[in-house]
Amino acid sequence: MANSFKTIAPFLNTTQHKASKLFSYFGLGIGVFLLLASVQVYLNINQLLKDKNPRKNGYDFISITKRITNENMGKDNRFTVADIADLKKQPFIADAAPLLSNQFRAKASAGTIIPFSTDLFLESVKDDFIDSVPASFTWQPGQTEVPIIFSADFLEMYNVFAPAQDLPQLSSSTISAVKVTLECYGPSGLQLYKANIVALSDRINSVLVPESFLQWANRQYGNIENPPAARVYIKTTDANNPDLLNYLEQKDYRVNKDKTKFGRIKQILQLVVSGLGGFAILVIVLALMLFSFYLQLMIARSKDNLRLLIMLGYSPGWLSKTVARKWIGAYTAVIVCALLLTAAFQYLVQHFSINGQDHLSPYIHISIVAIALLLWLLCIIVNYRLVRKLVFRL
Amino acid sequence: MAIQTKQLVPRFLEKEKVERSGIWNKEFVCNKGEKIQIIAPSGSGKTSLIHFLYGLRNDYDGTITINNTNIQSLSAEAFASIRSNQVSIIFQDLRLFADHTVWQNIEIKRSLNPFHSAETIKTMAERLGISNKLQKQVRLCSYGEQQRIAIIRALQQPFDFILMDEPYSHLDENNRKIATALIEEEAAKRNAGILLADLKRVEYFNADRIVQL
Repeated sequence: MANSFKTIAPFLNTTQHKASKLFSYFGLGIGVFLLLASVQVYLNINQLLKDKNPRKNGYDFISITKRITNENMGKDNRFTVADIADLKKQPFIADAAPLLSNQFRAKASAGTIIPFSTDLFLESVKDDFIDSVPASFTWQPGQTEVPIIFSADFLEMYNVFAPAQDLPQLSSSTISAVKVTLECYGPSGLQLYKANIVALSDRINSVLVPESFLQWANRQYGNIENPPAARVYIKTTDANNPDLLNYLEQKDYRVNKDKTKFGRIKQILQLVVSGLGGFAILVIVLALMLFSFYLQLMIARSKDNLRLLIMLGYSPGWLSKTVARKWIGAYTAVIVCALLLTAAFQYLVQHFSINGQDHLSPYIHISIVAIALLLWLLCIIVNYRLVRKLVFRL
Repeated sequence: MAIQTKQLVPRFLEKEKVERSGIWNKEFVCNKGEKIQIIAPSGSGKTSLIHFLYGLRNDYDGTITINNTNIQSLSAEAFASIRSNQVSIIFQDLRLFADHTVWQNIEIKRSLNPFHSAETIKTMAERLGISNKLQKQVRLCSYGEQQRIAIIRALQQPFDFILMDEPYSHLDENNRKIATALIEEEAAKRNAGILLADLKRVEYFNADRIVQL
């Protein structure tokens, strides 16, 4: 059939109720813009808050301890094997590893250059959880040298207090040159090891030794095999995941608030944005309903003419398609406008509201275009089906 | 190619009328190229028969086949195809778009599946004496003029059969003569069958067969 809408247009009553048609276009535009903008804001929040934590291979590492309260103060508040297994089971936790601590007295002294001696705590954790692991960070029984990974924060603290104590300040590169003597006290007396600081860790606030050393030393000097851990490190794709935060809260685990504070903000923001998205969907549904009323009215008013066209041999399928196609241009224009508005909104957000240090893209996310495309298809399908139903019912 | 009815009986028609009829409850065939006049007094179901054959009503028993296909099994789309390619019609009540011009009424049919050029509309209108009405709204035309519009409209498409229900009721003798000649000419061009239903015998129509309804 070579005919187009132009041929049948004079026989359809499309001129009346223009106001409801225009209102529905306007409503659709506003609804689509709100939805696209809220999804974009949602993505922006995720993007901005993801960058708040030091990550390794896309993971966040958080240390957790059991909360010490007046009630449980005297009890054993260390993690049992079951606690750790339960942590590992959670879908939002990629891995969990206990921080093993020394079960014997350990002391460090830095010899004559830096006259410094202190009781020391040693810890070890799986290498996976440490941000900087040099190849030399290994230990085998019989080895008299013990490699140490030192917290960068501790070095900073040391450098604050060192001048007052007449001790030299140390840079992160010179610290490896400091020869530390590690004294381990056990039932059979004192044993000395040469300790080398082989790396600094930004993530773990501790003095880390190889796991193999600590396990051996706990057996040797503390007479304890696999002691329960007071601290556990968890590995997660998102430290701000609300499910993770809820889980930790429910278990009464204490977590470094700094690492997860954005999670709470994120939860609230996401709630607000989701509400806005829900409202946008409602507006879109109402706009589509308004437009469907317009279509129903148009077809009802053109009922006699449409019936006669079908009687003359016009195919109802062709009529439905042609009538429905008439408004594709309008939907396209409305949705493209909403998309452009969202793009402008994102550009302005990036340009004016967010300071340059946050890496927010000035362009809309590809999923926004995909959602706009989906909404466009939805409008076309919904209206085509409605027109077809009405025409075939004639 | 044929239109065939078998034991066709309208559900609402009185028994006596069915018994007297040459079509109802009998086997009736109209072949392509055949010209048949159906003479039907008022109330004998003439318009119903035309509507049954065109697929507008199906309150009947028996079967109607077009090219050996039972029309009750046809979809709306299949009917659309038949109405634009194989079967044309002139309704008794004309069924024109009253608020549109004469030209629009004819052109909407022609553009669906053109058998003639748009120019032919003018030639036909001239022949039937309504060429000065082409741009006029149909509702401003007399019933006789509207009948001629309906005739011209029915001749714009290809067809194997043309169904006509009292097509000349409001035409004078001269116009009947011209209209009949035009319809017969157009049917001959397509080697189409004509089924003309009227109250009485139509002079000037060269029927091959006359059937009493």
